[in-house]
Amino acid sequence: MDINLNMIEEKNKTTDNKTFDMKIDKRRELLESVARKMFLLNACIAVICVAAITFFVFYKGLQPFFSGNAEGTYSLVDFLTGTQWRPNDDINSALYGILYMICGSLMATVGAIIIGVPIGILSAVFISQIAPKNIKRIIKPAVELLAGIPSVIYGVFGLGIIVPKIMDISPRAQGQSLLAVIMVLTIMILPTVITISESAINAVPQAYIEGSYGLGASKIQTIFKVILPAAKSGILAGVVLGIGRAIGETMAVMLVAGNPIAGIPTSIWDPIRPLTTNIAMEMGYAFGLHQEILFSTGVVLFIFIIILNLILNRITAKAGEK
Amino acid sequence: MNRSIKDKIMYGFIGLATAFTVGILLWIIGFVFVNGLKYVNLDFIMSDYDSKTTYVTIPVSENSTNNKLGIDFEIKEYEDTNYPVITSIDKSSKAKEAVDKKGESFKLRKGDIIKKVAGKSAENLTALELNEVINNVDTDTILVKVTNKGEGIFPMLITTLLTILLSLIVACPIGIFAAIYLTEYAKPGRLVRLIRFATESLAGIPSIIFGLFGMIFFVVFLKFNYSILAGSLTLSIILLPVIIRQTEESLKAIPNSYREGSLGLGATKLQTIRKVILPNAVSGIVVAIILSIGRIVGESAALLLTAGTVARVPNNLFSSGATLTVKAYAVAEEQGDIGMACAIGSIVVILILILNTLSKLISRKLNKSNA
Repeated sequence: MDINLNMIEEKNKTTDNKTFDMKIDKRRELLESVARKMFLLNACIAVICVAAITFFVFYKGLQPFFSGNAEGTYSLVDFLTGTQWRPNDDINSALYGILYMICGSLMATVGAIIIGVPIGILSAVFISQIAPKNIKRIIKPAVELLAGIPSVIYGVFGLGIIVPKIMDISPRAQGQSLLAVIMVLTIMILPTVITISESAINAVPQAYIEGSYGLGASKIQTIFKVILPAAKSGILAGVVLGIGRAIGETMAVMLVAGNPIAGIPTSIWDPIRPLTTNIAMEMGYAFGLHQEILFSTGVVLFIFIIILNLILNRITAKAGEK
Repeated sequence: MNRSIKDKIMYGFIGLATAFTVGILLWIIGFVFVNGLKYVNLDFIMSDYDSKTTYVTIPVSENSTNNKLGIDFEIKEYEDTNYPVITSIDKSSKAKEAVDKKGESFKLRKGDIIKKVAGKSAENLTALELNEVINNVDTDTILVKVTNKGEGIFPMLITTLLTILLSLIVACPIGIFAAIYLTEYAKPGRLVRLIRFATESLAGIPSIIFGLFGMIFFVVFLKFNYSILAGSLTLSIILLPVIIRQTEESLKAIPNSYREGSLGLGATKLQTIRKVILPNAVSGIVVAIILSIGRIVGESAALLLTAGTVARVPNNLFSSGATLTVKAYAVAEEQGDIGMACAIGSIVVILILILNTLSKLISRKLNKSNA
């Protein structure tokens, strides 16, 4: 008994010593908490950036619509419903209407989605379900390369190949047109749609596929009746990301759009002026109200992107619930 | 319809779609290389973009072949008339000792255009006539007006490298530390949700909006003007989601037993991160950096609004300069020069190919060492 008690006492002593040792190492604890705070601070920078970007772009872009703006004001209704863009140093004779740009951006995006999404989904099906391993090993890096090619190169390709080809068949004198933009954007959204759809298809449980085969369905029937419906929300997320890429694309589109100063496009041969290129083309030399209105164009684009992000959040949250 | 026919038609569609995707890629790359590769050589990489004309004084070398300069010419068309262009320089030639008006040594190169020799215009002279002009000079040195026709990408190459370096210096620590916080410290809650939402939003914002922000904040508000500093800082925001996501992946791949082992040995959290977590995440971080470099090389819209399109070697952080892609855009849009744009494009595509392969190899190695 005695020995036991002694041992316990000794044990207590050592543990006491240990806690004592730990307490005096204030430096180490300080270092730990400083490090923790530093990591936290860096993690918050992303939040700060998003807040700053939103604030600055909206702040600068909304100014022209409030009376008392130093650079002059412009009516929000005229801005959103106007179909002519004629910057002028004289504020009273300048026209800043972006309705035809909104139409152009939306038409180009819808066109690219209509053509690009089926091609993308079918390519994803091929890569994940049909391709033998060695062919897959060639196609996957090809898709990655397609994603890595800078947008300027797509634009140069569009200018060098697509625009002249369109010029040959178009009733207009100019090859730069809505059709050219749609074709370039179709190519550009392919890698996004393919990669996201492919991972969604890969995530479909093997049991679904085996069940379908077990019921006597063919491979094609399984793909279109079981796999694709099961991967629906993932594919939808890819489509939304594709829309985001198409509507936000600037440099490639700028080279092939034609960028007219007025007019809602009525046919695919008409040139268009998307919101993005309007900003990039004139920002270099704009000042005063003109510059602020370009920021307003950015605000409209930003609102589209925010809506898309909200939709995307919905879709991914839904997919997560499943 | 018969099921097997229906199936065959669908297989056809799937095959067509894939063929379209791969075909387009091959077409684009083929187009860029066919139009661009013929311009690409060492001169193209090492030359200035703008042409530059200099008066140089060249010592006469008596025992050279052809002429007293020891330089061979070839008559070529330049600026709509004919000028002699240097094809080779003799070993015995004293052209290496040539100096410009400031007395600094000037290196004559193959391809340089001779505009004037000893005060006489070289325009439309034949090679024989030019040799005669040169050999008739009886002074020890000959004054020659030389034009280097430029059309190279050296300034853009330097600007691109500087931009890569600067934006990585800013973005890497922030991105890596943020990823460490998210995987090692954060507990699920509102703050983490906010941070994740912000990172995802950053990934979804188009680069032209980053350009607008960079322009109003870095260029105007902080008075950096159009500069590679403003451009790089804007880019580093664009890179944040790439680096955070990729680093997080590699941190998550580290087995928890490593952390428990280290903590169990009495190491603090910070020590665990420094000595156990980071060394194991190195290849993942390298992949993040490689992906970021690809993104920087490809970026143009944001840089157009923050760093400008001037083709010159930046002499400090506040001087403006165009990267390769921005210049490719500028020559295509402003001069309609598809050849030059493709030449720059082929360099960029080769770079992207190398970067993609590198990241593949490293992540494969990473997967192997984990398995």
